Amino acid sequence: MKRTTGAVAITSAAALLLSACGGDSSEENTDSGAAAEESADDPAAEEDDAAEDEEAAGDDAASTEAPVRDENAELVIWSDDVRAPILTEWAEQFGEEYGITTQVQVATDVRQQFKDAANVDQGPDIVVGAHDWLGEFVQNGIVSPVQMSSDTQGMFTEDSLAATMYDGQIYGVPYATESLGVIRNTALAPDAPATMEELVSTGQELVDAGDADQPMVTVVSSVGDAYHAYPYLSAYGGGIFGTNDDGGWDAQNVIVDSEETIQGAEKMAWLAEENALNVNIDFPTMESLFAEGRTPYMIAGPWTIPNVEGADIEYAIDPIPDFEDGGDPVPFLGVQMFYVASGAQNPTLAQEFVNTYVTTEDMQLALFEAGQRPPALQSALDTVSAEDEDIEAWSAAGEGASPMPNIPAMNAVWQPLGQATADIVSGSDPAERLEAAQEEIVSNIGR
Amino acid sequence: MMSETERSERDAALQSLEPTGEGLEFSSRTPLWVQIVKWGSIGLSIVVLGWMAQQIIEAGHWLMVSMVGFIALCVIAVYATRRAIPAKYLFPGVLLMLLLQIWPLVYTVQISFTNFGDGHISSKEEAIASITSNSVREVEGSSRYALNIAVPEGSDVATGDVAYLLTDAEDNYYVGTLDGLEELPADGVEAGPTGRIISAPGWTTLTPQQVNERSADLADFGVPVFDDAGEQTAGIKQVGLSEAFVGTPTKVYDEEADTITDTVTGTVYVAEDANFVPENGEGAALPQGWREFVGFDNYTSAFTNPTLREGLTKVFVWNVFFAAFTVGATFILGMAIAILMNDERLKGKAIYRSILILPYALPIYVTALVWASMFNQDFGLINGLFGLDIPWLTNAWWARAALLLTNLWLGFPYWFIVCTGALQAIPNDVKEAAQIDGAGPLTTIRKVIMPLLLVAVGPLMIASFAFNFNNFSLIWLFNQGGPFVGGQSSIGSTDLLISLAYRLALGGATPSFGFASAISVIIFFLVATISYFGFRQTAALEDVN
Repeated sequence: MKRTTGAVAITSAAALLLSACGGDSSEENTDSGAAAEESADDPAAEEDDAAEDEEAAGDDAASTEAPVRDENAELVIWSDDVRAPILTEWAEQFGEEYGITTQVQVATDVRQQFKDAANVDQGPDIVVGAHDWLGEFVQNGIVSPVQMSSDTQGMFTEDSLAATMYDGQIYGVPYATESLGVIRNTALAPDAPATMEELVSTGQELVDAGDADQPMVTVVSSVGDAYHAYPYLSAYGGGIFGTNDDGGWDAQNVIVDSEETIQGAEKMAWLAEENALNVNIDFPTMESLFAEGRTPYMIAGPWTIPNVEGADIEYAIDPIPDFEDGGDPVPFLGVQMFYVASGAQNPTLAQEFVNTYVTTEDMQLALFEAGQRPPALQSALDTVSAEDEDIEAWSAAGEGASPMPNIPAMNAVWQPLGQATADIVSGSDPAERLEAAQEEIVSNIGR
Repeated sequence: MMSETERSERDAALQSLEPTGEGLEFSSRTPLWVQIVKWGSIGLSIVVLGWMAQQIIEAGHWLMVSMVGFIALCVIAVYATRRAIPAKYLFPGVLLMLLLQIWPLVYTVQISFTNFGDGHISSKEEAIASITSNSVREVEGSSRYALNIAVPEGSDVATGDVAYLLTDAEDNYYVGTLDGLEELPADGVEAGPTGRIISAPGWTTLTPQQVNERSADLADFGVPVFDDAGEQTAGIKQVGLSEAFVGTPTKVYDEEADTITDTVTGTVYVAEDANFVPENGEGAALPQGWREFVGFDNYTSAFTNPTLREGLTKVFVWNVFFAAFTVGATFILGMAIAILMNDERLKGKAIYRSILILPYALPIYVTALVWASMFNQDFGLINGLFGLDIPWLTNAWWARAALLLTNLWLGFPYWFIVCTGALQAIPNDVKEAAQIDGAGPLTTIRKVIMPLLLVAVGPLMIASFAFNFNNFSLIWLFNQGGPFVGGQSSIGSTDLLISLAYRLALGGATPSFGFASAISVIIFFLVATISYFGFRQTAALEDVN
């Protein structure tokens, strides 16, 4: 239908009305902003950006316009709206110290907006975002390497630094890491499960007793979600890409149909049989089921915590437990970092800022306050872990996590692999389905 | 016969119609305020266009500058003269059509002949520059320098030759210029706690702001490092404001051979298909490619793409059905409600109407998502309310039904509004006449109201069909074209051509605007053909009148 959007007032009033109704009657989390962000993203961006999106959703989804570079500022930083207030303080301090003007601008879809703006030389000097955008940025020639001294490199956790590398070169300064863990409703399940089997059986007992609807929840959705499925797929040494000589991901070596990955997928099929995985659970459904106390376990990332806290649930965070036969689920590690734009109008200041400010413990701690994710700087991580149980738990959950591949070929993976996992959860044969996915991924990459 | 008085009245009336001197004067002299507004508007548009041209000149798009200039000339030629009266009315419309319809079309067609897309954004020169500059690595075992940036004393900070004032780990001072490194006598040098030179005799150091202003010069600046034989082996380059490192590019471009050599691995890369690929065919291409003309390649691959070819018929049939059904169903529902609401006996019409328009006022962004969650098999409102267990989103046919239902809800208010307006334009006496002729209410609707209504809404139905034919946002927000059956993730059961094209062109490994444009052009021709025949049909409808 030809629809010109109606008057703003009616729209927003109606939207409120609608989400209020939806929340009551459908027992759905109709936090439309969050859902919107989630589904509107392209699948590649969807995974790790979920973090930013969820946080951003609540505040103001009013403007989705790309920011326009502030021409009067000498150093322009683009970030999401959660980190922007903290960054503004630090940028201003930087500006005072060096006698320049700085400007932190909020971008609603940092990745795409930066790509678009940089292509017409209207981009910022510094961009704050996830590490798996890197391959795409390099491919388009819009970010510059950061020449970090070896001393500085040594200050970061190994994984977070590894995530900033592409083609052997460091392209950013990391400040936070994130990965999936088990968020447990301590009222329903007081003890951390030792194995995945125990987790499922505890959940099942609660369902049987009528205290819960689902033994556990995690994002599956009808189109699948490779990010949330990865821990199981990788449990027996499987994964997506093999590595090449210099330790980088090898796009030519897809291992989705390897024996190890199939073994992991069989575990997914088992979890689906136990109703622990369910294609009807997408991001908002997952969050609302957990927030309403209708499931003891949620396997999700730190971005769901604000919602859990809002629901006033006593919770604890554990690493994803192993399977009884020794399978060890490895989640993806996402690393948040500061990129320097290659088209920066002020490359010197941009490099100075990321090299001297972002590498300080104070700034890493300040950014932690905004995002509640384990800092990438070792000393900041130590400080925070000592004070905050959650962070200690998150960093334990992220231990051994594998950095999400940051090569552009990863874009060819999200959809086919996600769909394959959704189909496996709905009952397809794991081996057959992964072979088909492998074929699809390889042909997508070759295209 | 006309009476005497009547005749004189008529003469008087005719008299008043005859041109008088006064009247002529009035029509030839426009009032002052109109003149002011007119010239003000002309002046304003020229100023705005001039400002735009200024902006475009800075960006360096000369073709667009001349276009803006041409538009400005047209404005003057059309509005500042007394000639070309029809053009005064046509010009804004034609201009907007050119800008908003024709130009994007031309641009899309133009892009469809290139490989424009991720990894092929820039020119070849830029790609090479990016490859070589990104390959600069710190020379192993080299130590870092503390850095300050300066110009020779006496020269202008804004134009003088820049130089690096460097301090090595042993607190030795150096001056680095384009000629190389030179030791700086320690006499009179003032250094900070980290060894960074704060001031040195013979040099004026730059403030951060001054450094910033010279970003362009500094980007090209580096201090060459020579070995004993006088060959350049590396360069000293700044990292920010206060540190410098010794680096060397690991990828070198050879202009004559048009190759790039990796000095670490020894691999030689040759230019092929807008990428640098290893000469021996082993290993991956360098990430940065460039944009180039590829002829009909995108069109060929659109027609030979196995996924697209397989799914195209299926998707096309569903696509036509989706658009046709949506238009038909929403029209019938909207019209039925409009006819009901048009009944004079109904009380509280305003309230009903406001409620009925609600779906139309809500952004699709919200509603599509809410509907998608209401259709959730286990947790959704619809199954929950009616005690059903229908796999709305995971079964292909149910998903199509769910989508059509959602679009019915989204779409009927539009036809309700349109029909309400059109019904009020149908004079009551037509209906009364029908009644007198003995027609019942149904016959009146079928034989009298419908034909009159269809003439009014026919073109809108075509437009609505074209819109729904390409209703990307609904499909994408609702279920992204899913469910995907048969062990693949490329062709969904509810995909429209446009969402399929989006997934293939922009959702894959290497988003390609060129390929996407080619598919858009193909879809454009499809919709244009359908619309052409549709409009011929509506023309036939008008014969009823």
